[in-house]
Amino acid sequence: MSSITLKNIFKTYPDGFTAVNNLSLKIEDREFVVLVGPSGCGKSTTLRMIAGLEEISSGELYIGEKLVNSVAPKDRDIAMVFQSYALYPDKTVYKNIAFGLERRKTPKAEIQKRVAEAAKILDIEHLLDRKPRALSGGQRQRVALGRAIVRSPSVFLFDEPLSNLDAKLRTAMRSEITKLHKNLDATFIYVTHDQTEAMTMGDRIVVMRDGVVQQVASPQELYERPCNMFVAGFIGSPQMNFIDGVFKNGETVLLGNDEINLGKLPFKEKPESGKKVKLGVRPENIVTEKSRFKKDEPILKGKVSICELMGSEVILYVDYMDTELTVRAPAYNAPKADETIEFQFEKEKIRLFDEKTEKSLI
Amino acid sequence: MTKKREKFSHAAVYIILILMAAVFLAPIFIVLFNSFKSKLFITSEPFAFPNKETFAGLENYIGGLSKTGFFSAFGWSLFITVGSVAAIVFFTSMTAWYITRVKNKFTSFLYYAFVFSMIVPFQMVMFTMVKTANALKLDNPLGIILIYLGFGAGLSVFMFSGFVKGVPIEIEEAAMIDGCGPIRTFFLVVFPIMKPTAITVAILNAMWIWNDYLLPYLVIGTDYKTIPIAIQYLRGGYGSIDMGAMMAMLVLAIIPIVIFYLFCQKYIIKGVVAGAVKG
Repeated sequence: MSSITLKNIFKTYPDGFTAVNNLSLKIEDREFVVLVGPSGCGKSTTLRMIAGLEEISSGELYIGEKLVNSVAPKDRDIAMVFQSYALYPDKTVYKNIAFGLERRKTPKAEIQKRVAEAAKILDIEHLLDRKPRALSGGQRQRVALGRAIVRSPSVFLFDEPLSNLDAKLRTAMRSEITKLHKNLDATFIYVTHDQTEAMTMGDRIVVMRDGVVQQVASPQELYERPCNMFVAGFIGSPQMNFIDGVFKNGETVLLGNDEINLGKLPFKEKPESGKKVKLGVRPENIVTEKSRFKKDEPILKGKVSICELMGSEVILYVDYMDTELTVRAPAYNAPKADETIEFQFEKEKIRLFDEKTEKSLI
Repeated sequence: MTKKREKFSHAAVYIILILMAAVFLAPIFIVLFNSFKSKLFITSEPFAFPNKETFAGLENYIGGLSKTGFFSAFGWSLFITVGSVAAIVFFTSMTAWYITRVKNKFTSFLYYAFVFSMIVPFQMVMFTMVKTANALKLDNPLGIILIYLGFGAGLSVFMFSGFVKGVPIEIEEAAMIDGCGPIRTFFLVVFPIMKPTAITVAILNAMWIWNDYLLPYLVIGTDYKTIPIAIQYLRGGYGSIDMGAMMAMLVLAIIPIVIFYLFCQKYIIKGVVAGAVKG
């Protein structure tokens, strides 16, 4: 059993700064959980507390059924992959991978066997005699992974392991880590600030901000039903558009002179008429092709300020009222800068947020 | 045109470097070739090469060895230098690691105390130190190692601390997760990384301790003569000096430290280069 339970975890530094604020989370056995958020949101601190590298100010941390608050990192049955790889520079790749096993007094023949297996999985068999300085970034990251998997721990912790790699390598390593999770019988906790990594890798994603968990959900749910404006803005690239509006008549949002009828939305708590709201719509949910326009819905107009060609599609920056909307549109027949375009919002994909609390109203 | 100019600037650099090397090497060579001249000619023609008339063969070496008790002095010098350097490297590397990694008021006070100790001139503490050493019965070869540890600690802690600051803490955290406690982390992970700095610290301290005259003279006197003290005893009464024997002994005194330096040189260069490149 290698589930992880965090109960009311706080991390407060001596200067009074609270890095993690009342975090409670249950990570199931063999789950792949991604902690995501901007710099300074407390995700790495949380991971380091799970690893035992950072003391917990208050709260309880369980690995399996065991309370591990004061258990040394080496006795937690975890392995960690660091952003900077943290390889031992004076040791060969073989020694780097074998180090943890040697410390645990594993028989030599067993060490050789397990290092060979790990090297084979990661395709680094030909590098075993090299020192880390003779390796490329991607190779170093593989060695760091090898060092983690060779011990067959029940929990793997990853602290932004791909941040130092170039974009192409990052994509390749991303899928390798996902494959690794499928092949190994272990729980993975992965920290990143990159929402693409979070969306593509995690079974569940924990979005954090200023030490507080904002939402814990599957990638799909986070994308489609963000609980607040922060999550809505953080997940998705380009990010969700927010437009100031006023709620009216129980079904309509007034955006300047344009009226959008939302129909019968599943409101958590129906806002009163006249309430200021933020209407959220993702760039791909803004329709620019006239053939897809719906007859009974208003057609909005805006002026294209910039048009970025991305290959099969374009990203348009459209001035609409006082907001700059980001619109994802097909590259075929794409409008040019300074052109005025017509568009509609996909009604069923619209999100509404309370302007004051920034919480989702739906 | 530019190639010519480049060649010229290269030549100029070489000439300056050769001149500088000559200035630094001249005293050593003067001692070396004077050690093969008979003593009368050393004072009359100090800069002349030995010739048929002045060449004395190994006479000065044989005389010096018998007059100074060189082998015993060599043994004590070796014992004190090796002991002190080992103690300095061992203790100051650990101290530097601790005070760099554990951040509190006490460790920052310690750090500044070590740095301050570098700027206190030896002459200022000389007599109180001798009295204290006598009182604590440190006036023997083993005790002087402790005193050298004290005098060498400032610079060594400063150098090691500078290096440790550049070592990513994740490496130590990885070691902790791999199953090391603090002592194993230090000896199996941190110290091997520190090797180039340790060698630099060892060379600097070895050169100083090997050649030091004043401290052993003041603390252990003539009971256990080190090489500089033994050589000093070649001065006879009324200012008469056996220059031939002195030159020969100086050559013998220089040899071990030069060998040590040449042996460790590649590690020093490694130490300087390491960290210059990312990763």
